[in-house]
Amino acid sequence: MHEAVIENVPVTKRDIYYRDVPLFKDQRVVDTIVDDVAASLKLERSDLNVRATSKGIFCGSTFSIYLSSGNVIHGNDSEASLIPAGEDVETFNVDEDLAWVLIVEKDAVFQTLCHLNASNHPLLPGKGLLITGKGYPDMATRHLVKTLSDSLPQTIPIMALVDGDPYGLDILSVYKHGSSRLRHENGKLAAERVEWMGLLSSELTGLGIDKESLIPISQHDEKKALSMLGRSQDIMPAKWRKELIHMLHNRRKAEIEILSSPVDSSAVSHQGRSPFPSAENDIQRAPLLKYLHIKLSQFVTSAQSQYGST
Amino acid sequence: MSLAFLHAHDCSEAHADAVWGVSWTKNDTVVSISADGSIRQSSSSSGEPHSPPNSPTDYRVPSPHTLGLVSLSVSPDGRHALYNSLEGLTSLWNLETGVSEGAFESFLREEGMGNAEPSWSVSLSPSGSTYASAGGHGNLTIRSAEPKNFGQKISTVFSGRNKFGMCCSYSPDGKRVALSSEIGHVFIFDVESNTFVNTYTSHAMSVRSVAWSPDGNLLLSASEDKRLILYDVRVSSGSSGGAVATFSGHSSWVLCADISPDGRFGLSGSADKSIKVWDIASRAAVSTVQDAGEVWSVSWRPRAPAVGSVGAFVSGGEDGVVKWWRGAGAGV
Repeated sequence: MHEAVIENVPVTKRDIYYRDVPLFKDQRVVDTIVDDVAASLKLERSDLNVRATSKGIFCGSTFSIYLSSGNVIHGNDSEASLIPAGEDVETFNVDEDLAWVLIVEKDAVFQTLCHLNASNHPLLPGKGLLITGKGYPDMATRHLVKTLSDSLPQTIPIMALVDGDPYGLDILSVYKHGSSRLRHENGKLAAERVEWMGLLSSELTGLGIDKESLIPISQHDEKKALSMLGRSQDIMPAKWRKELIHMLHNRRKAEIEILSSPVDSSAVSHQGRSPFPSAENDIQRAPLLKYLHIKLSQFVTSAQSQYGST
Repeated sequence: MSLAFLHAHDCSEAHADAVWGVSWTKNDTVVSISADGSIRQSSSSSGEPHSPPNSPTDYRVPSPHTLGLVSLSVSPDGRHALYNSLEGLTSLWNLETGVSEGAFESFLREEGMGNAEPSWSVSLSPSGSTYASAGGHGNLTIRSAEPKNFGQKISTVFSGRNKFGMCCSYSPDGKRVALSSEIGHVFIFDVESNTFVNTYTSHAMSVRSVAWSPDGNLLLSASEDKRLILYDVRVSSGSSGGAVATFSGHSSWVLCADISPDGRFGLSGSADKSIKVWDIASRAAVSTVQDAGEVWSVSWRPRAPAVGSVGAFVSGGEDGVVKWWRGAGAGV
C-alpha cells in the first residue's frame, strides 16, 4: 500500500493478496487490514490508492458513465456493462425518460431480465436501469446506487428485488443502511431511498404460486434471521421483522427463482388466444415479468403522484 | 352426513399480526397467542378481553414479546397458560391472578451441556407440575413447570432422529407425550419409563400438530402432505403400523388438529384457508368452513355438547382475528 501511494500506481486488494499468499493465507485478511489502516488514518481506501475490483454490472440504454480517462460506458438494453470503481468515474448521464431503477440481488435473475430486455420492455412502465452487485455489493456498486439515490428526481423510484430470506434482507440493508464493517464510510454509501420491492412470501399466493415452491429454511437461515431480529429498529424496519418472523414460523423462504420457472401449462391454456402473441408469450413464460409489471407500476405511480409536479 | 357450522362472532379487537395458537378453556374463555408477540384471554360469550371475576385490581396481561409466540398449552382447569416464543423464551401465566409465574430462556446454554436446543413446541402436563418441550434437534425434554424452579430440566431423551420437533403434546392422562417432526415422524414417549415406545412413519412431510382423543387411545396428526392421519396408539408401530385412518380433502398443508371432548369429531385448519370437521367413526369430512387466510390453530369447546347438538370451536389464523363457530341450531 505504501508503494502504491508513493509511486502513485493503484493496486487492488486482490493484487496485495497475491504479493504474499502464504503470509496472508486468505483474501479476507487483506481486506480487513486495508480497511483497518484506512480507518486508523481517517482516510478512504481509495486515498491509499487501493482500488476495489468491480463485480457489479448494470443494464439500460438510458444510462452512461463518463470515466476520468475520457472513455464512456454506454448502457445497453440487452447486454450488461461493468460498473467501474468510483474513483474512475468523472460523471454519469441519465436520459430524461428513465422511469425506474431496480437493483436485483442475484446475477442469474439479472441475466434473465437482461435477456428479456426488461430495461426497455413494452409491458413495463417506461425505461429502467437494472443493477446487480451479484450478492453482497462491492464499494463500486454501492457508490453508484448512492449517487443515483442522491441525484435522481424523487419521481424515479429506486427499488431492490431480493430473496425472501435473511441474506436477501441483509443485502438490501447494505445498500440502504450501509455495512457494519465500514461504518466510517457510511456517510458516503448508505442509499436511504432504496425501497424494498420484494420478494415477500406473503405475496406468493396472490401470484398463484403454490406453497410447495417455497424452499425449506436451513440452520444458517435460522441463525441469521434470529441475529438480524436483534438489530435496532433504524436498520431493521417493522416490515422486514415481520417477514423474517413469518419465515421462521413457516420454516420456508421465498427465492426469486420461483418466479423464473415456467408457468404451469394448465394455467396457460386458460388464457386462450391473444391478439398480442409475443408480449403475452413473455408474460406467460416468465411470471417474473408479470410480477415486475405489477410491482413497478405500483412504485412508479406512487412516486410520480407523491413527488410529480402538477 | 353433513353438518353446518356458523360463524358466531369474532374477538372484539384483532391481534396486530397472525394468530398462531388458540385454546378454549374450561372457564369458557379463549386464550390466544400471536405473531405480534402478545397473549390474550377473551370471553367466549362476547369476544371481549376477559379478566376473571374476583381477580385482583392489578390483574395483568403479559406485555407483548419482541418476537412472535409460536406455542400455547393451557391447563385442563383453565388456570395456567404455558407459552413459548420464536426464539425459545418459555413463560407461564396464571390466568386467575394475572401473575407471570415463570420464564425460562431455553436458548441459553446450560451448565455442562453442549449447545442449547431452543424450545419450539411446549406442552403442560395435565397435573401442571411439568412441561414437555421439543426443539430443533430431535430431543424431547421434560422440565419443571413449578414456579419455584420453572424450566429446570428433569430429563431429555433423543427421539432417534436429529430433526426439527414441530409439536409435542401430553396425553390427557399425563402418561405419554406425542412428538412430531419436520420430516413427518410421530413418536410416542412413555413418561414413566422415560423412553420412546413407538414411531409412526405414515407421513413423509412435516407434521405441524398432533391431538389426543379424550380417552388417550387415538392420536390425530396434521401434516403438510395435506392429510390428517389417525393412529391407535395402543397398537405398536411394528405390527400394522398404527395408522387406522387417513383424512383427505384439504388442498394445502394441514396446520392444526383437535379432537372433540366426546371423541366423535376431528377438527382441522389448513393453509388452504378452510376449517374441516371430520366424523371419526365414518372417517369422512362432515363440514367445511371458509376462512380468510391460513388457519393456524383450532380448538373445540372442552365442554361436551348437549344431546342433539354438535358443539362449538374457536379458530385463529393469518388475519389475526380469533373466531368462534357453533353448530347450526345449537346455542353456545
